[in-house]
Amino acid sequence: MAARNRILKELRGLEKETLDGINIELTDNIYVLFATISVDGNPLYKDQVYKVKFTITEEYPFTPPACMFVKDIDRGIVSIPIHPHIYTNGHICLDLLGTAWTPVHTIRSILLSLHSFLASNTRSERPPDDSSYFKHAPKNPKDTRFVYHDDTV
Amino acid sequence: MKVNIRKWNGVAIWSWDVPKEEVCGICRTSFDMTCSSCKFPGDQCPLVLGVCTHRFHTHCIEKWLEVETSKNLCPMCRQWFQEKTDDGDGGTGAHANTSVHSSDVVSTT
Repeated sequence: MAARNRILKELRGLEKETLDGINIELTDNIYVLFATISVDGNPLYKDQVYKVKFTITEEYPFTPPACMFVKDIDRGIVSIPIHPHIYTNGHICLDLLGTAWTPVHTIRSILLSLHSFLASNTRSERPPDDSSYFKHAPKNPKDTRFVYHDDTV
Repeated sequence: MKVNIRKWNGVAIWSWDVPKEEVCGICRTSFDMTCSSCKFPGDQCPLVLGVCTHRFHTHCIEKWLEVETSKNLCPMCRQWFQEKTDDGDGGTGAHANTSVHSSDVVSTT
């Protein structure tokens, strides 16, 4: 119930004050929502639209939402952004979504981080352990204990 | 004209002595409302001010500090969260505005 109230408040806020390059897509389930992100300022991602899935639990905001990039083939969203902290399966290595999470963060602050994550990236590459991670990764990115090895990207 | 007041009803409105527009960073609800688990605002759902000057519903911050990943840090500034002990007027006390709301004023001429 507590989680639900907070999500509703956040959604109202996101509706009132939209974010550049980001669109929120709701589902019938308030605990699952999607957002599309486009980053026109970075030639690496030019003319591309990416999709992010949020899965929120009852413990929110005391625990972060599970957040990952997904494809939506029907709508032509066929790729996961190439980024040194984003795995082929869509999982994101971002401390905000794990150890650095605090309840004052929001869906909005995650989206802003992801947007700037993409906007500021200059390396067209996957994480160094992408191929091994891909094979053994849990379905839920929150079950992975990421090592945040690089603060520069 | 002489006015005799025969009866008056005092009505008091209370609010926490904090800026009106401030919300609890955890539940995002106004401080004059309750945390997400309480039904009635007031002493049953008090506020707490940290040494770091960040304010929360006591129940909200307690719930966060119980979470292992909180490492007992303030969710706003990541400093060690410790309640600011009262140095006189701590600022979280209730502030009552008493005002005469309706009164039976009868005028006699």
